[in-house]
Amino acid sequence: MNNYFNDKMDLPDNFNSMYPNSFSNLNSFGNIGKQDNYVNKNIDMKLANKLKGQAGDNMKFNMCNYNGDTTPNQLYDVYNGFIRGNMFPSLFNQYKLNRPYDIKPMNEQAELLTKVDAYCFAAHEVNLYLDTHPYDRDMINLFKELSNDSNIAVKEYENKYGPLFVDSSETYPWAWNESPWPWEND
Amino acid sequence: MWKYEKKLQYPVNIKNRDLNMAKCILTQYGGPAGELAAAWQYLDQRYIMPDDRGKALLTDIGTEELAHVEIISAMLYQLMKGATKEELKRAGLDSHYAQFGKDLFPSDAFGNPFTMTYIKVSGDYIADIESDMGAEQRARATYEHLMDLTDDPDILGPLSFLRQREIIHYQRFKELRDYYLEAKNKVNG
Repeated sequence: MNNYFNDKMDLPDNFNSMYPNSFSNLNSFGNIGKQDNYVNKNIDMKLANKLKGQAGDNMKFNMCNYNGDTTPNQLYDVYNGFIRGNMFPSLFNQYKLNRPYDIKPMNEQAELLTKVDAYCFAAHEVNLYLDTHPYDRDMINLFKELSNDSNIAVKEYENKYGPLFVDSSETYPWAWNESPWPWEND
Repeated sequence: MWKYEKKLQYPVNIKNRDLNMAKCILTQYGGPAGELAAAWQYLDQRYIMPDDRGKALLTDIGTEELAHVEIISAMLYQLMKGATKEELKRAGLDSHYAQFGKDLFPSDAFGNPFTMTYIKVSGDYIADIESDMGAEQRARATYEHLMDLTDDPDILGPLSFLRQREIIHYQRFKELRDYYLEAKNKVNG
C-alpha cells in the first residue's frame, strides 16, 4: 500500500529515529534544576524518574505552544499521516505500539477506499490546523491540493464500487442502498 | 447541517470476537470521556465563541467526534457479532442483552447509561475551551488504558488512531485558548 505516497511532500519515514521514545517534556525539569542550583537537581531527577512511564510522558506538552502563524516545517506524507492519525511529526507520539499499523487492504476495493481515507484525512488535518492559523498561505495551498486529490480518489472509487456520497448515486437500481456499509466487515 | 459519507474515518476490520473488550470499549461510546460526550460538548459550545476561529474549530472538531462515535460503534458491533448467550454471560453483558438485545446502547463500561451531564459548558469561553482540553486528555488516557488491555492488532489500530486524534485536538484547543488569552492580555495592558 505504499504506491500512493504523496511525494510532493517527499518525507522519509524515519519517525522512529526522530523520536525514539523521547520523554521530551522531562527536559524542562532538568533545565530548571541546572538554572536554580545543583541541590535541586537531584530532587528534579527523582521527580522525573517517578513521572517516567506515567501520564504526561505520552504527549509532547512542551511542543504545544501557540506559535502564531508559522508553517510547520515538516509533515508526514499522506499515507504515513493517516496510519498514525497525525500529520505533524512534531506532535506525534506513539503509545505501546513500536510503530503504527500499516493498513493492509486485501483487494482493490479496499485499496481504493484506503486511498480515499488517507487523502480525506490529510485534508481534514490541514483544515483543523488552518482554523487556528488562518493566515498560513502555504498550508492553504496544501489544503487546496489535498482537497483536489481527495476528490479524484473519491471519483476513482465511486466509478468502480458505487457511491460514497449520495450525490453520486445515479444508477438504476438505486445504488446508495447497496452494501457494504462502513461497519460491515464480511 | 451534516451529510453522511458512506465510509469510516479509519477502517475497522476486527476478525476475532472479544466481548470483554467490547464491554470496556463501551466507555468510549457512552462514557464520561467518550466520543458522544465530546461531540455534543463541542457542538454546544460553538454558540458563545467570541470569534470565527473558535466557531470554526469547535464545529470541525465536534463533527470529527461524530465520525469517532461511528468508529467506536463499528468496533462494538464487530467485537460482539455472533456472540452466544454463554459468551455474553461470561463477559457480564447478559444484562445488556436483556435490556437491548444485540442493539448498541451508549453506556459506560459499567453499563451506566450515557448522560448529558457529562457535557461541560459554562458560558465562559476560556472555561469551555479548557474543559475541552481536559476532555481530550481524559480521552487520551482512556485510550491508553484500553490499549493496555488488548494485544489484538485489529483493535489496537483504531484505538491508536483515535488516541492520536486526542493529541491533535488538544493542541488545536490549546492554540485557540492561548490566542484568546493573548488578545485579552493586550486589552488589559
